[in-house]
Amino acid sequence: VVDQIRLWQIEGERMKATPGSLIRDFSTERDYRETLNYAEELGVLLWRNDQKRWFFVSRHEQIADFIAQRARAQAAKAQGRA
Amino acid sequence: MPRAIPGVMVECDASIKAIIVKIDSERHDYILEDLDETTVLIKESKLADLKEALERELQDTQTFPEDEDSD
Repeated sequence: VVDQIRLWQIEGERMKATPGSLIRDFSTERDYRETLNYAEELGVLLWRNDQKRWFFVSRHEQIADFIAQRARAQAAKAQGRA
Repeated sequence: MPRAIPGVMVECDASIKAIIVKIDSERHDYILEDLDETTVLIKESKLADLKEALERELQDTQTFPEDEDSD
């Protein structure tokens, strides 16, 4: 992933541009924390803001799978309760 | 349900970021999200354009006259 990072040098100022995805709109703190931990374990976490519950990852495919899996598990649990 | 927004995360000096925000304010065409003081999410397709605009802007602001040489 490191080779995807582009460094700019403009007027002596260094800038770093990294492609990836912003993951946002978590409805609960727990969903946010667990998904964030997963991103950290995968080594794809590059930026985070705990107040907003936003984070940026270099690759999002596995994160999307993780989120979908959790949503399915939660739906199944809710149905079991009904 | 969380969303994934694809883009390019640009990390830079706060002063450069302020210029990026200023460039974007003209047409709102580059920034997807303002992340923090030194970080901004940019549309990938617009990254090269932004770099050019930034270089132009920096050239304009930095071409102030040289100090006149006394003596």
